Amino acid sequence: MTVQDTTRTDTGAIRYEPQDGVLLEVEDLYVEFHTADGVATAINGVSFELRQGESLAILGESGSGKSVTAQAIMGILDMPPAVIPQGHIRYCGHDLLTMDEEQRRKTRGPEVSMIFQDALSSLNPVFPVGWQIAEMFRIHRGMNKSDALDQAIRLMERVQIPAARERVKAYPHQFSGGMRQRIMIAMAIALDPAVLIADEPTTALDVTVQAQIMSLLEELQEERQMGLILITHDLGVVADVADRIAVMYAGRLVEKAEVHELYRSPAHPYTRGLLESIPRLDQKGQTLAAIGGLPPNLMRIPPGCPFNPRCRMAQDVCRRDLPALREVAPGRLSACHFAEEVIDA
Amino acid sequence: MGTYILRRLLQMIPVILGATFLIFAMVFALPGDPLAGKCGERPCSAAYRAAFTEKYNLNDPLLVQYGKYVGKLATGDFGETYNQIKVSDQLKQRYPVTAKLALMAILFETLIGIVAGVLTGVRRGGFLDNLVLVSTLVVISIPVFVIGGLAQYFLGVKWGLFPVTVTSGEATVYQLLLPAMVLGSLSVAYVARLTRTNLVENLRSDYVRTAISKGLTKRRAIGLHALRNSLIPVVTFIGFDFGALLGGAIVTESIFNIPGIGGYIFRSIRSRDGASVVGAVTVLVIVYLVVNLIVDLLYGLLDPRISHD
Repeated sequence: MTVQDTTRTDTGAIRYEPQDGVLLEVEDLYVEFHTADGVATAINGVSFELRQGESLAILGESGSGKSVTAQAIMGILDMPPAVIPQGHIRYCGHDLLTMDEEQRRKTRGPEVSMIFQDALSSLNPVFPVGWQIAEMFRIHRGMNKSDALDQAIRLMERVQIPAARERVKAYPHQFSGGMRQRIMIAMAIALDPAVLIADEPTTALDVTVQAQIMSLLEELQEERQMGLILITHDLGVVADVADRIAVMYAGRLVEKAEVHELYRSPAHPYTRGLLESIPRLDQKGQTLAAIGGLPPNLMRIPPGCPFNPRCRMAQDVCRRDLPALREVAPGRLSACHFAEEVIDA
Repeated sequence: MGTYILRRLLQMIPVILGATFLIFAMVFALPGDPLAGKCGERPCSAAYRAAFTEKYNLNDPLLVQYGKYVGKLATGDFGETYNQIKVSDQLKQRYPVTAKLALMAILFETLIGIVAGVLTGVRRGGFLDNLVLVSTLVVISIPVFVIGGLAQYFLGVKWGLFPVTVTSGEATVYQLLLPAMVLGSLSVAYVARLTRTNLVENLRSDYVRTAISKGLTKRRAIGLHALRNSLIPVVTFIGFDFGALLGGAIVTESIFNIPGIGGYIFRSIRSRDGASVVGAVTVLVIVYLVVNLIVDLLYGLLDPRISHD
């Protein structure tokens, strides 16, 4: 019924089929980092799902756990120091965390794929870009060198790299930042993955290039009906692309909503703080509202709501009880004791 | 690329001239009379003295002597010693031995060093890692004449695993096994540590993370993506080390009685044999420069970010 069903014909391999349209299901995930100084809890019981053709943005400051979530899904955390004490990550019903390593390796690329923030350091400096893209076809499809290279050229053309045929033998440092990120994208979509994770794909780029890369991602996602997880701290970037937004704070999901709802009326003081901190042209001359303080040290997360030391609305209950992520309006989840008041404000 | 090589070759000319002039001037400045003792117990006759002085240009000032020497050098004539032995014959006989020894030492250090570096880099903190760490430290801190003597005594004399010394003039590969290992042992330690450090660093790099997320096997991500980058500085080190080893190894040569270039220069200096010293050093300078050029070119091939345009 979709693109990815036609590509899995090799015998013996597992056929991954989305279940009721659900591609990825993260359930009650915990990730800890065991270091010499103690245990840092980077992910603290996160659950969400991703459906076919859906774009989910995961939003948060640095250290909120959004990148760690992506790396846990991809299986590229350094373990140790990282430990996943509990939780499930199911891809088409198969738990990636209990799958054997060889099987899981085969999902990276053809099923789940990832784009990183800094394309210059993420591409291998000593191999030509075409070779690096072609490697996907050679390893996963057993293609020979020249066929794989043809496929690489085709992909480079698809992500609009000018003179792709001539530049296929060029090295990463010979491209501009935007072109390098296009090459990363070409590599990530090479095998038609069902899920694409983009970890801050535009953070390292100029503003004008950012828009081009985002629209390319949006276009590819629509064309191939991929599930897209967009990890970012930039609210401006997500508005056009994402369907739903999950906001993370100190390793927890604090709000989840459809994108326009969230922009119109945030249901968590942290989200509201983020929205107020976007510079706006119609408020020229006014002081930019910033969220005071810093995110908590993950080794010493304060009791109660982790956001309470920075929250303007914090009451005694916030310092005492951890608010659960609950439905505060149809289709809207928030982990705030006073979510209803926030949403109406 | 072509113009780069040409430019580098042209740059060699002043370096060769400068280096040979310095050596020539130093030999010129050495005190002593080449004719002393030449004619036995009594002083040489005036006629012989005049002919000798004329033949070796001994009355010319330094610059003129040097000019005449370089002029002959340009035609491939290395001159002869005061005993009428052609320097080029000596070099032809001894240089192949040194080159063979250097090549064997390099092969040894490359093979053992890189394998040890990769094994320890992949399994950091394991038994093998600590073993290599300690043993390389030991090798680095012990001088070569101690290692050479110990190796000769235990591996050669006591257990009879290797020939103890070189006995023939041309030094066979078999006879050079032990000296090559002794000569390469110090660099094995450096190569192993350099490989390990670079591999550990590259294993943490973003592009290895990308390689894993592309669904490559661990073996390929480490053995191809990380190692290829880790070996760039290692190859550079090995290249320069090769250049240094081609300059002869006086200590190792004398321990194992190897008729190489190092001992030749040493003996020539002691016997005030100026022509031999200058000739041998000239060859070494040229070899060193050429090896350096090759290493630089290789570096450009290994790391596409370096360009020689």
